[in-house]
Amino acid sequence: MDEDAVAELIEEALPEAQATVTTPRDPDDDKHYAVRVVSPVFEGESLVDQHQLVHDALGDHLTRDIHAIELTTLTPAEAE
Amino acid sequence: MGPRSPRRYAFIADAVSGGMAFEPEELSPEEVTEQVDSVIEDNEVVLFMKGNELMPQCGYSKKALALLQQHRDDIETVDVLKATDAYREALERHSGRETIPQTFVDGEFIGGSDILEQLDERGELAQKVGQ
Repeated sequence: MDEDAVAELIEEALPEAQATVTTPRDPDDDKHYAVRVVSPVFEGESLVDQHQLVHDALGDHLTRDIHAIELTTLTPAEAE
Repeated sequence: MGPRSPRRYAFIADAVSGGMAFEPEELSPEEVTEQVDSVIEDNEVVLFMKGNELMPQCGYSKKALALLQQHRDDIETVDVLKATDAYREALERHSGRETIPQTFVDGEFIGGSDILEQLDERGELAQKVGQ
């Protein structure tokens, strides 16, 4: 699974989400991603719930073909 | 008493004593579920991690442990590598997610390593872990 596929899953699942996916360790590392997601859907949600929304979007990929994501969730206001 | 009975006997003995199995790699899914439920209930701060306190086996588990240890020295850790898939399933029932590490405070899921880090940056982690 590459960065674009990860970003696509998130953007499809979350309203108006912008996902930026990078590989913090090694450019060819397809197991560890840094994921930054900005979406208005996070407004008023706790950090745990914000992360849960992204985890749900990735579903089983998160324990099967991705070892880990370093996740940052931001509302549009926080992202500015 | 058939040829499989000794193993069956060991399983029953573990369940009765409530202790750890003699051979951790043979923890059954039922035992894992039971252990996860009781360890979350019986401890203020619990970290489910890959590896143990002395030898974390994953950078994210190591980071979560270090963040928690800044604020508490009585963290109960559970090594999920004994039965990773069973732990993922048992934890999912508590937190809604299967990723490791997972931190619980007073029975409530508070996050994996990213959320701990974010809480720490916001200066909210100390309060969250209760000290």
